[in-house]
Amino acid sequence: MNNIKKLTKKDILKTAFRHFLGVTTFNYDTGIAPTIVWELFPVLRKIYSNDDDLVLSLDNHFRYYNCNPWLSPLITGATLAMEEKDGVKSIEAVQNLKTGLMGPLSGIGDTIIWVMLPTIFGAIAGSMGKNGNPLGMWLFLAVFLVCFFLRPYLYFVGYQTGTNLLSKLGQKLDAFTDAVSVLGIMVIGSIVSSTVNVQTGWTFQTGGVKISLQSILDQICPSLLPAILVFVLYYMLKKKVKMATLILAVIVLAMVGAVIGLFKA
Amino acid sequence: MGLTIKEIVLISLLSYVYSLDRHSTQIAGKITILYGALAGLILGNFKQGLEIGATLQLMSLGVANLGGASMPDYPMAAIISSTIAITSGKGMAAGMAIGLPVGMLGMNFDVLVKLINSAIAKRAQNFAHKRQFGKMTRTIPLATLIYPLESTIPVFIAIVFGKSVVQAILDFMPQWFTVGLNVAGGMLPAVGFAMLLVYMPLEKYGYWLIVGFVATAYLKIPVLGVALLGAAAAIHLYQSIANKKVSNQVSENNSNLTEEDMEDE
Repeated sequence: MNNIKKLTKKDILKTAFRHFLGVTTFNYDTGIAPTIVWELFPVLRKIYSNDDDLVLSLDNHFRYYNCNPWLSPLITGATLAMEEKDGVKSIEAVQNLKTGLMGPLSGIGDTIIWVMLPTIFGAIAGSMGKNGNPLGMWLFLAVFLVCFFLRPYLYFVGYQTGTNLLSKLGQKLDAFTDAVSVLGIMVIGSIVSSTVNVQTGWTFQTGGVKISLQSILDQICPSLLPAILVFVLYYMLKKKVKMATLILAVIVLAMVGAVIGLFKA
Repeated sequence: MGLTIKEIVLISLLSYVYSLDRHSTQIAGKITILYGALAGLILGNFKQGLEIGATLQLMSLGVANLGGASMPDYPMAAIISSTIAITSGKGMAAGMAIGLPVGMLGMNFDVLVKLINSAIAKRAQNFAHKRQFGKMTRTIPLATLIYPLESTIPVFIAIVFGKSVVQAILDFMPQWFTVGLNVAGGMLPAVGFAMLLVYMPLEKYGYWLIVGFVATAYLKIPVLGVALLGAAAAIHLYQSIANKKVSNQVSENNSNLTEEDMEDE
């Protein structure tokens, strides 16, 4: 199974640049999976000479994946090393690793890239710019440009980490697959509560006191409605309901809910 | 308003480049001030554009676009505000009176673009199944080209038709529709998470979902903290599975040995 066709530095760099498709492909079914498929396709083609294996791998990467694109290369770099070494045998581990790490790395990446840096340099640029001085603005741009040129190297870090991890794991890939699936499942439990947002706008009048249904629900269990929504959708998917149908159903539910005031933004 | 066709084209192009970069290369996606200034530069008043951009930059501090959630589009608001302020000659307040509402409107179009992306992703995956890999890799970047239109179209309408038309569109859209789009934006990530769960070994390890959910919903632990707990659980599981395998092998070896020994005797 060990491949003769080793991935070269050029392959990795090319993949890193193809990753700049970024979140333009984001969709509700599969997140930024199309970006991952697109960036990995040339190297996967190199790894899998057999079309059936290639489609297996592509189908795996077409599954839901959403990660801050700055740190995502750490994950896909590592999974690339796994697929290079173990081929289709590694697909389950690849999927679990992606699911387990995408949440936490997004948490770090989003905080640094979208909150910390813009807040610091935005405050500088904004207060200088108000007085007609563009220096802060150029500084802001320069910081992000530097980060931009450093980004492709994260792919090498991920790939190297993945390679080292694999040489340590040896024959214990099954145990590793199970273990990271636990990590992934816990992370999904967490992001359901932090990312899905469903709130009811209904209120009750009791003895002249207005009580909102949402505050009662929050006392029973915070994020109860998002959890119920995810479980209903999960159950439907298990019953082989198509994803497009579910997306449409959710939109109709949201619209109808907005009309009758059941849901609030 | 006194905009030449060349200026309209350049401003629209600026909004396209802005949105393209924000969702792909992500260099200047948060540098609101830059877009105010560039719009000013195109229209021959860099300084006023810079000041408007700076004001909006300061307004946007701390507002981040996380986990696929929809947020007001400040750089887009800066492009429109600068353009309107400079060409109408009525100053910053007049510009922002149109720029901000359209920036808010843009966030609703976000949901629509992500739905178009679903269709593109599905098409690409179908090509993969038919082994038409060339068509697959050509289909995915369509999303990249279409995505920026979510900024370009509103900016074009705002700068060409101005306040009256923008107000008319805002009035025409019933409130439930914008609220509904918002609610749908909060709910739709649930579809992706449900799909992820379908691929995870829930029968075996589903109970970890509860741990992850409780950690974030009740204890408000951020996803990185949950991932660290998950890593601890994963390491424990990995060690116990790996040890079990080793001890099984050892006992098998032992029993083989004893059988052989017995035969020898």
